[in-house]
Amino acid sequence: MTKSHILFLNVTGIVMFLLLWEVGGRIAGENLLAAPSIVVFEYIRLLFAGDMLRELVGSLRQMFVGFGLACAIGMPMGALMGRIRLVDALVHPWVSMVVVTSAAALAPIFILMFGTGFEFRVAIVFVSSFGYVTLTAYHGARGIDPKIIDVARSYSTGPVETYRKVILPALFPYLITGARLGLVHATRAMVMAEMFVLVGYGGLIFQTGQDLSTAPLISYLVTLMFVSVGANMGLGWIGRQLAPWYDSKMSAG
Amino acid sequence: MATKLSLNNLHKSFGRGKANPIEVVQDFSLDIRDLEFLAVIGPSGCGKSTLLRLIDGLIPADSGSILMDGRDISNKVGGEGRGMVFQSFDLFPWRTTQANVEFGLETNGVPKSERTGIAKHYIDLVGLTGFEHSYPHELSGGMQQRAGFARALAIKPEILLMDEPFGALDVQTRDILQNELLDIWQKEKKTVLFVTHSIEEAIYLADRIAVITPRPARVDRIIDVPFERPRTEDIKSRPEFLEMRQEIWSILKEGIKV
Repeated sequence: MTKSHILFLNVTGIVMFLLLWEVGGRIAGENLLAAPSIVVFEYIRLLFAGDMLRELVGSLRQMFVGFGLACAIGMPMGALMGRIRLVDALVHPWVSMVVVTSAAALAPIFILMFGTGFEFRVAIVFVSSFGYVTLTAYHGARGIDPKIIDVARSYSTGPVETYRKVILPALFPYLITGARLGLVHATRAMVMAEMFVLVGYGGLIFQTGQDLSTAPLISYLVTLMFVSVGANMGLGWIGRQLAPWYDSKMSAG
Repeated sequence: MATKLSLNNLHKSFGRGKANPIEVVQDFSLDIRDLEFLAVIGPSGCGKSTLLRLIDGLIPADSGSILMDGRDISNKVGGEGRGMVFQSFDLFPWRTTQANVEFGLETNGVPKSERTGIAKHYIDLVGLTGFEHSYPHELSGGMQQRAGFARALAIKPEILLMDEPFGALDVQTRDILQNELLDIWQKEKKTVLFVTHSIEEAIYLADRIAVITPRPARVDRIIDVPFERPRTEDIKSRPEFLEMRQEIWSILKEGIKV
């Protein structure tokens, strides 16, 4: 299949989905499932009303603090776990526990610990993305070609320099992948956490859920989806910019 | 002639869990003379790569000693006048040619201003002018190994350790690089320890050839290569060349069990 074939099929799939949705929406009615023809106008109205984007920007700002912390701590920690057995044995159980624990289940205790403000949302976002960032870095670090470590040793590179100049760059593709995974989970957790305390974008979604029409609710979801997809693609783009060698890494042998 | 590197009674065995350890290198002694080109030849799997890794300190020997100009470097990992060229090139994919060649200088604390010039000099020497800013995946295998040479030469090693550097290349590229290696060796005046399994390559390049018997690796005999330098490809068709090839082959054949 060529690129244009794939694109054609992609578009066909989306159109079919929209048609199904339109038919379903006409049958179910606006207060159960607003049809896309209604959502489009509602979406434009909300875009200009300002609430949606203002709450979104505010929430994303807080999310990026939590996500940034998860990356800043998780990436070096995952790398150390992958290279040093002692560190791995010490923290692996904890990281695994963080990954499997549902952030929603932690929300009540975090509310007790941090209140319902900034710290709470940062904490929820942190625990929900930290594990993915860390474990992806960990698997990357374990898989580093020992031959490349030998080169560093052959040039009598010290452990700190080897870490900085060989292990971290070799890990780079894994760090980007981990960040992309983590970001998806961070976005989900942010909305979920805000629904608990009725603030920000999640709060907006929750409150709109009580309305008669489902059109605004669906509009909020569409925006959220765009943000997630956009951020994910953006990280991929940043990865390719910072590491022009990454895409063709396989052909380098 | 003075001895550059002397290997004395090296032993190395690898454990296999509960089974008896395999003796890979046993009582290995060899003197490499200053500024000579010594080829070590043996069949695949005879432990010659292990030997080179022992010499570079990448793996520790169980016993024995390695002396460079008389000083003991047995337990030193890398450096100490040793520059290694690897079989599969093993350039860093995230570094350009320039940055790959600078790597050893960087870790030896050579300041940035000096590094650039030194790296450029060796990039030109190996014929990679114009590819300074290319990444390894943009270079052919032959060019990657040229960069591998330049990286090893840049740290100005006293002895160049080469682990089947042309093993992963096609025959034509191999022939071209052999000639260029001889050129560079004549210009740079270095001691070279060159591991290979190609008899022709060993005869064409080396002053002396150490023929290794397989597992455990031991020196079977050392053969002097009489051809004058600089060498050109026509010596490959001389009767003496063919005779020597036959002689080495018959020694190797005894040790190979297929």
